[in-house]
Amino acid sequence: MKEFVDPLKKGLLNGLSVTYTMVKVIIPCYVLIEFIKYYDLLRPVATFFKPVMRLLDLPGEAALGLLAGFFINLYAAIAILSPLNLSPKEITVCALNLGICHSLTVETPVTRKTGVNYVPLLFLRLFLGLFAGWAVGILWKIW
Amino acid sequence: MEDLVKVLLGGLYSSVSLILKLLLIILPLTISYEFLKLKEKSYLGKKGAFLGISKEGLIPLITGIFVGLTYGAGIIIHSIRYSNLSKSEAFLVLLFLSICHAIIEDTLIFAVIGADESILIFSRFFLTTLLTLMVKVTLKKVFLWHKLGSKWS
Repeated sequence: MKEFVDPLKKGLLNGLSVTYTMVKVIIPCYVLIEFIKYYDLLRPVATFFKPVMRLLDLPGEAALGLLAGFFINLYAAIAILSPLNLSPKEITVCALNLGICHSLTVETPVTRKTGVNYVPLLFLRLFLGLFAGWAVGILWKIW
Repeated sequence: MEDLVKVLLGGLYSSVSLILKLLLIILPLTISYEFLKLKEKSYLGKKGAFLGISKEGLIPLITGIFVGLTYGAGIIIHSIRYSNLSKSEAFLVLLFLSICHAIIEDTLIFAVIGADESILIFSRFFLTTLLTLMVKVTLKKVFLWHKLGSKWS
């Protein structure tokens, strides 16, 4: 019985701590984006990132979601991308990019602690994430 | 002003409902992770060796693919540091994992906001496998080349 209850309890606690992280990250990000949208401040941001994001066939404002995902975590990225009303294709491009490259501030130290050289892996994640996002965007169009 | 309050309250409401949706996915996963971690030893398969990664390397690999780097950190760090894995093998495991981890969780939370989940899972797994294979072959070649070099010098 103990073998069953202990992991259940631990899993539940972990789940609740993830929820706490989500509350901390998602609510402020989401409300902030609504605020920015309300004052039409998203447009200058979008224009600024447009040249880079065009390569991925994404609107400029999606850059905010990608950056949040790279440096904070996926929940922050979701909170920012969700109110932007992106198309399924655009969300999938962002998701593949972010799935490969995210939470660098938390995960790079884990890689480092295993004793493996983490620098090439860090650059690989950044590059491969962008590449995969670009590729899936192109394949989506051809399909 | 009233409009702004309305918009912000709308954002608050949508973000809470997003969190509830994510919670429905996360809770079952974090619970099953704990059961998977208990089984750590038993998925040392009979056959072993996948992509040049031996049985010993499969423990951190499988933990990482399903449980992820954050929750699997304990097992992953321990099983790589205190094992007889060669340096190149440990690198292959971490190479695979840094691109492809927590594959179920990451995919499902993006599916909540409208991404295509099968594309996400398959392309990530396929791309990572291909890349790991390429790096493995290259590592082997470099190693052979070094050997040849030392014989010739």
